Amino acid sequence: MLATVRKDLSRWRQDIVGILLWMSIPLLIGGLITSMMDGGGGAKPHGVLLLADQDESFISGLIAGAYGQGELGELISVEKVSFEEGSRRIDAGNASGFLVIPAGFGNAFLESEPVTLTLRTNPAQTILPGIIRDVTEILLDSGFYLHELFAPEISTIRNLVEDGSRPDDLLVAAISVAINAKIEAASSQLMPLALDLEIVEPPPSDAPSYPFALLFLPGIILMALMISANGLASDFWIERAQGTLRRVIIAPGQMAGFLVGKCLAAGIVMTAVGGVTLVVGFLYRGITFTRLPSALGWIAVSGIALFSWFGVLQMAAGTQRAATVVTSMFLFPLLMAGGSFFPLAALPDWIAAIGRKTPNGFVADRLTTEIIADAAWAIDGQSWLIVAAIAMTGLGACFLRLRSGFARG
Amino acid sequence: MLVVENLIKQYGEFVAADGINFAAEKGTVFGLLGPNGAGKSTAINCISGLLKPTSGHISVNGHDVASDARRARQCLGVVPQELAIYEDLPAIDNLRYWGKAYGLRRKTLESRVAEVLSYIGLGDRAHELPKKFSGGMKRRLNFGCGIVHKPAVLLLDEPTVGVDPQSRERLFNMVEAERDNGACILYTTHYMEEAERLCNSLAIIDRGKIIADGTVAELRAQTGARDVLQLSGNFPVEETRSAIHDLANAKINDLEIISQEEGSLTLSLPDGSHNLAIIFDSLASAGGRVTETSLRRPNLETLFLLLTGKELRE
Repeated sequence: MLATVRKDLSRWRQDIVGILLWMSIPLLIGGLITSMMDGGGGAKPHGVLLLADQDESFISGLIAGAYGQGELGELISVEKVSFEEGSRRIDAGNASGFLVIPAGFGNAFLESEPVTLTLRTNPAQTILPGIIRDVTEILLDSGFYLHELFAPEISTIRNLVEDGSRPDDLLVAAISVAINAKIEAASSQLMPLALDLEIVEPPPSDAPSYPFALLFLPGIILMALMISANGLASDFWIERAQGTLRRVIIAPGQMAGFLVGKCLAAGIVMTAVGGVTLVVGFLYRGITFTRLPSALGWIAVSGIALFSWFGVLQMAAGTQRAATVVTSMFLFPLLMAGGSFFPLAALPDWIAAIGRKTPNGFVADRLTTEIIADAAWAIDGQSWLIVAAIAMTGLGACFLRLRSGFARG
Repeated sequence: MLVVENLIKQYGEFVAADGINFAAEKGTVFGLLGPNGAGKSTAINCISGLLKPTSGHISVNGHDVASDARRARQCLGVVPQELAIYEDLPAIDNLRYWGKAYGLRRKTLESRVAEVLSYIGLGDRAHELPKKFSGGMKRRLNFGCGIVHKPAVLLLDEPTVGVDPQSRERLFNMVEAERDNGACILYTTHYMEEAERLCNSLAIIDRGKIIADGTVAELRAQTGARDVLQLSGNFPVEETRSAIHDLANAKINDLEIISQEEGSLTLSLPDGSHNLAIIFDSLASAGGRVTETSLRRPNLETLFLLLTGKELRE
């Protein structure tokens, strides 16, 4: 048996490119998914809007302050500069935009007279200058409509601010009542809204949420295991073509040792294939390595089970070409259903339930449990027994097929 | 040492081995000579355990192949007709693997592997992959894998098919060396010259049946002093048969037609060279025309021709 393990590992080492290819499949897919879904963990883009406020009025102050509100404030920092400094810095490309509010802007706004604001943007940037341009247009449009509705009230507030006098309670109440009356008068024109937006929040779940890439990790490991199991199982055909299976039959009491040895060798290769991705995933997500032995053990046992059943499928076909077709017919639908193209945890419950019943879905689901659990060896004993039983029955079926004529050729 | 009794192997209606009997002794080479499809490989596959006989009894070194298979197989070495080596495993590891399969371990294994590598002439290429070897080198490695465990009985199934003359000579030497070391060797071939050179005794097999057996000398004696005359040309069937019949009655005793077709005629006769002119005259008077003539002295190939009416290589 050990001689067969050594022999097959030595032979398969000759095809190191194939094994590296199997290893690269999950790393490649995992890298792509992580970069797409996790955004790489990088900082949000941030731009600087230079503002030359030549008016220094209450109204121009409102515009300058509007850029720093809410989420917009996380994207854009407003920096007050002189016209000369702003011009120099935007020419040097050291800001996303440069807004000039001319002297007399406040008065012109209140008197509904034409006035021009100058906005220069940085052509070297694409997204942030566009945001600044759009926000500026929205602000000016909003200002126009507010002025149309509340011009006397705005004028009163402006005078109070610019005089520096403290308004008495009666004046504040009068302004409030006036604004409220105008809103009520306008509401008959504005209400009801054409669209009624209702936001329904899902009930809070007790289950913790995990990054998409982490949930995807077991699925892509299983993809690599399935592809490598199928590739390694095709070795039965290679051995048959080489005539060595006939020698195995002729040798005294060799068949069982040969088969178990081949499965163990396949298990070692598949553990290496899955293990590389697992270690990379652990490092990337900062998962403690105390779980690595249990996860690798699960991969090894599952790998042997997958190998043995792909062996059965390979040997059930009449020719090697037919075997490739038959195994492909099983391989890709199983990968699809078993969470290798989309994690089971992110699928609708009924689809996930079907997926968990596929062999690879079953294995991936338990591997997910092992990875996200609080402690190592989280996979239940029953699951270990099920996979071990699947491996044993697969081995038995392979043995029977070899004895029933496949090895003779 | 190797006994085959009334071996029958049937595939439905087709009988591949039809009551084969022979026995081979220690330190001898027993040959199974026959054309392709005669049943030689079937017999070897039944002995090696690759095929289950329909009926019959096979004993290897005193162990019944059916009831004591493990011990019987332990005594057997097989060099199959097709190559049976790992082309992607170094030559030395091929020998180690098959040595371990037959129970050799550690020092015994390593010393035997080194011995066989030297024996098959691959000592300097032991760590290379067989896929880089020539056909003859692969054949030698195939042979080495069959003898690495020093089997008491060695089955060689047409080991020289597709082998260059130099490697063939080397294989002959190896077979002779194994024989001299005391192995009992069953050697199948459809090359008469191989059988004549290597085999102490042999059986001629055709369509699953042994049609003659004995030592090479005994089999040669079966042909008597009769030559085989093969003629090509144009021979009217009835007229030619009548002419040959008349010749046999009047001028040439024991003249026989082995096979006759319109374009060819094969005759068996004593002292062929002295009777050629009479035969040509008779054929010409019967309307025949001879374009090519071949007169062969008695050997195993002519014996096969006499027994079956067809060439050994057909």
